[in-house]
Amino acid sequence: MAGIFDRFSNLMAQRDAILAGDGADPFQVKFDEVISQTEAMIGNRRIILCGTNNYLGLTFAPEALKAAHDALDAFGTGTTGSRVANGTYVGHKELERTLCEFFNKDHAIVFSTGFLANAGVLSTLMGPGDYILMDADCHASIYDGVRASQAEIIRFKHNDAADLDKRLARLADKPGNKLIVIEGIYSMLGDKAPMKDIVAVKKKHANTFLLSDEAHSVGVLGRYGRGLPEEAGCEDDVDFIVGTFSKSVGTVGGFVVSSYPDFGMLRLVCRPYIFTASLPPSVVASATVNLGLVKNGGALRTRLMRNAKVLHAGLSDLGLKLASDISPVIAVVAPDPQVAVAFWRGLIDAGVYVNLALPPATPYGYSLLRCSLCAAHTEEQLLEVIGIFKDVALNLGLIERQPRRVAVG
Amino acid sequence: MAASGDPSPDTLAALYDLLKPFNKTGVDLKQGTRFSEDLNFDSLVVMEFVATVEDHFDISVPMNMLPDIANVAELAAAVEKIVKADKG
Repeated sequence: MAGIFDRFSNLMAQRDAILAGDGADPFQVKFDEVISQTEAMIGNRRIILCGTNNYLGLTFAPEALKAAHDALDAFGTGTTGSRVANGTYVGHKELERTLCEFFNKDHAIVFSTGFLANAGVLSTLMGPGDYILMDADCHASIYDGVRASQAEIIRFKHNDAADLDKRLARLADKPGNKLIVIEGIYSMLGDKAPMKDIVAVKKKHANTFLLSDEAHSVGVLGRYGRGLPEEAGCEDDVDFIVGTFSKSVGTVGGFVVSSYPDFGMLRLVCRPYIFTASLPPSVVASATVNLGLVKNGGALRTRLMRNAKVLHAGLSDLGLKLASDISPVIAVVAPDPQVAVAFWRGLIDAGVYVNLALPPATPYGYSLLRCSLCAAHTEEQLLEVIGIFKDVALNLGLIERQPRRVAVG
Repeated sequence: MAASGDPSPDTLAALYDLLKPFNKTGVDLKQGTRFSEDLNFDSLVVMEFVATVEDHFDISVPMNMLPDIANVAELAAAVEKIVKADKG
């Protein structure tokens, strides 16, 4: 008789081949203790965290910790219900009001995760006879969301506004609404959408709307941390902004904001909103407080970008192949999945945690050591990270021992 | 059986032409050639090839249709259906 997982046998064989040899399993890392935003313990070893998406380092903000503790004492450990049943507390409404003020939008809906926000909004915004035009490199939650919609799904080439324009032009005679879906910063390589160009294309076509997933860009881009729409100066042209509390905001949860009339009716039709327990009051309280810190976090953003420059320069001077420009996400390209795993194991053994990202989850079939930076990283920590990258890459024969830049004089 | 829904030789010839640069396994291209099993297409190649087909015929092939398209004949039928609907 066939086993129920037989259809995954190819995948299991691939996994076993990639993970062959001694060493930790990159997908089963366990931190025994978290010392700070940038350090944790695995067993009795100190690890520098360089892959947490904790861009502003707000996970231990004292104001947020206090608000979370207070909410925990006042409202308990969980709501035990969905938003439409018994799961809406005063804190959830306050958080939604805070989001409206933060983004200058009329409506905000909070979900229990960023994944659910995308899944909920994208499955319901467009319906039969409508079209969704999505960037090919969009996140899995966007793919799952649009698949659950009844709209026609069309992908356009990553960050290619001309390709999007061509595809929209083909739909000019179709009566349905069109929704363009992009991300502010793409998670794997840290590259930004060409938002101004995409807005220009949107304006050329009738009945066309724009949704941007700002998961990695809220807190990171814009003077007040409102993401790429703020930085690119097109906030009024982005009809729907999806985001998460699990990166710069330092906790967990997702949201969507919009000024589109009657947007709040999505609460009646979004199944991931209706049929999921709401966020615990302590999480809601810390998200609310941290949004204020994000807004006033100009100094943190400056430090984050300074850190990005240090790591980018250090890794590129080693002669490593980078797939990223200077951004809070810096991806190092390994020649193949096996080498990437060996690289990752070398790093963790020497005390650096980064994300291992393998195809098909990566663009261009890349095998990546994906680093993400934190405003709280010190220069000493980053120099240590660069030194460890150097040792491991030398051991693997990926770079030359000779320094690329010879000091003059 | 030559049902009225069979793809035209022109459509098939165009698809064989478009497939040539994507035929890394070097198989003989026939109506029954399967994209996944015979041509080893992964999701990235599918995306590129679909874009090529869209540009050639100046049509949109929604992602929703792809699960039902396993071989060349099925793609040809889908293309003809979309072209016909567009002329509508």
